Amino acid sequence: MKNVIEIQHLSKSFGDIKAVQDLSFHVRQGQLFAFLGINGAGKSTTISILCGQLPKDGGTVTIDGADLDRNIDVVKQNLGVVFQNSVLDKALSVRDNLKSRAALYGIVGKAFEDRLQELAALLDFSDLLKRTVGKLSGGQRRRIDIARALLHSPKILILDEPTTGLDPQTRKLLWDVVTQLRTENHMTVFLTTHYMEEAADADYVIILDSGKIAAEGTPLQLKNTYTGDFITLYDTNETQVRALGVPYETLHGDVYRLAIPDTRAATQLITAHPTLFTDYEIVKGKMDDVFLAVTGKSLVGGEQA
Amino acid sequence: MKALSALIGRNIKLFFKDKGLFFSALITPLILLVLYVTFLGNTYRSSFLSALPEGFTVADGLIDGLVGGQLISSLLAVCSVTVAFCSNLLMVQDKVTGARQDLTVTPVKRSVLALSYYIATAVSTLIIFLITACAGFLYLAKVGWYLSVTDILLIFADVFLLVLFGTALSSIINVFLTTQGQMSAVGTLVSAGYGFLCGAYMPISNFSDGLQKVLSFLPGTYGTSLLRNHAMRGVFTEMANSGFPEEVITGIRDSVDCNLYFFDRSVETGTMYGILFGAAVAAIAVYVLICKMKRT
Repeated sequence: MKNVIEIQHLSKSFGDIKAVQDLSFHVRQGQLFAFLGINGAGKSTTISILCGQLPKDGGTVTIDGADLDRNIDVVKQNLGVVFQNSVLDKALSVRDNLKSRAALYGIVGKAFEDRLQELAALLDFSDLLKRTVGKLSGGQRRRIDIARALLHSPKILILDEPTTGLDPQTRKLLWDVVTQLRTENHMTVFLTTHYMEEAADADYVIILDSGKIAAEGTPLQLKNTYTGDFITLYDTNETQVRALGVPYETLHGDVYRLAIPDTRAATQLITAHPTLFTDYEIVKGKMDDVFLAVTGKSLVGGEQA
Repeated sequence: MKALSALIGRNIKLFFKDKGLFFSALITPLILLVLYVTFLGNTYRSSFLSALPEGFTVADGLIDGLVGGQLISSLLAVCSVTVAFCSNLLMVQDKVTGARQDLTVTPVKRSVLALSYYIATAVSTLIIFLITACAGFLYLAKVGWYLSVTDILLIFADVFLLVLFGTALSSIINVFLTTQGQMSAVGTLVSAGYGFLCGAYMPISNFSDGLQKVLSFLPGTYGTSLLRNHAMRGVFTEMANSGFPEEVITGIRDSVDCNLYFFDRSVETGTMYGILFGAAVAAIAVYVLICKMKRT
């Protein structure tokens, strides 16, 4: 697969604050690419530059072969953006909102009606077309936000914290649609999120800290590099666990979580104490652990902790 | 063109669907009309009567028509900018809500976006203006009607040009505003100051010579004068028919700014139209240029 986004030595400062510093990475076509970082890490600045909303200080940005500086209209035609907060016109109906936005991409008349029907079926909002956007629930509004971003069938969908505050049903619908679009249309998805379980499903992850790349790789590579394994041990007591001589934490009652450097060490520990390890499970570290190890900060429910 | 017409439609729809925007724009001129009639009517009337040479008597209806014409022309002159500011609130509101981000993320050109705000505001302002003008005509019909069909058409033409100019002026200022607080502050300042600058609250002839010369450089002044000429022409004709000497009528016309002077040189109404139209076109060009150059 070709690189659909290529960023080289991107930098941007606001006065003395270096928001983005010499950032270089690429995103392959069809990838689910996750961009992680606490608030102020430089994620939104990078996205704003990518979308042509903010001038950069240095570096190059190429979207599907088009240079951002020279072919901004082509770049914009290839991007669909779901913003952190809904930016549709709350006083207008769903149809009026989508109609006015579609016209900005040259989609009018029958072409618009056809596309509207497709998206309404895909995102299940046929019954909302006449409703005023301001009167929709958060989940319903999010579906319309996504429909708006997909109006012009972009090659790249930028999702800026798309699921924050959403109910599980809408979150599932959103990810089902994203998966379908990636499978059927090879759409590339550029995701920023505070939910680490969403980042764990990504093909490639970049963790940003203070405007620089702090770590990058597939979720598995990151887990292997920055966290060890964990054994959850059931039906035992703390004296026996302490005697193992490995770091642990009590989850609840007689359940303990042991931190082990890697799977090999876990196997050795288990085979050395067969009578203790009768009820247990081994898991890789989570993306939260990776994030904490890389940045020294953790993300809990969208906030830095 | 598709993008431009879609954006204009969106902006106009939003203006009329947002009751806050629409009613604040509509209520401003109507409140002004009531305030003018209540507080300024008698002042204007006394001022006319005291300006008349001794021995002259004027029919009450004629004086009422004169005062009414001055009130309506003042009202329309002030509202050309204040109503445009209210109508143009959408431009700032889009920045506050983030809708502007959603518009600029599309391939639509910034100049098209700028023009769409301009045209939509001009249309909305014109609609409010027509309502205001009709309310003003009803008032004139009640106190003393001396307008011909030509006068009415010319007043509409004046209003149209003033709306083009006022909208462009408000656009140039609004383009730099990012919060509704800034918008309210600037709106208050402009509506308070513009009435004096364009000679609506007080005739420019009452000001000092130096100030008169400075104000003669402002295009809005000529808009007010055009409105005065067309709203009061019938009254002056009637005065002439009643035997008023030419010099008395000229004196009154001078005192209410129907005659404007640019460094002692009288400015004809044709020239006034040219100045107003040229100023509107120049202001639109400046506004579009600013929007093209601004990245956010």
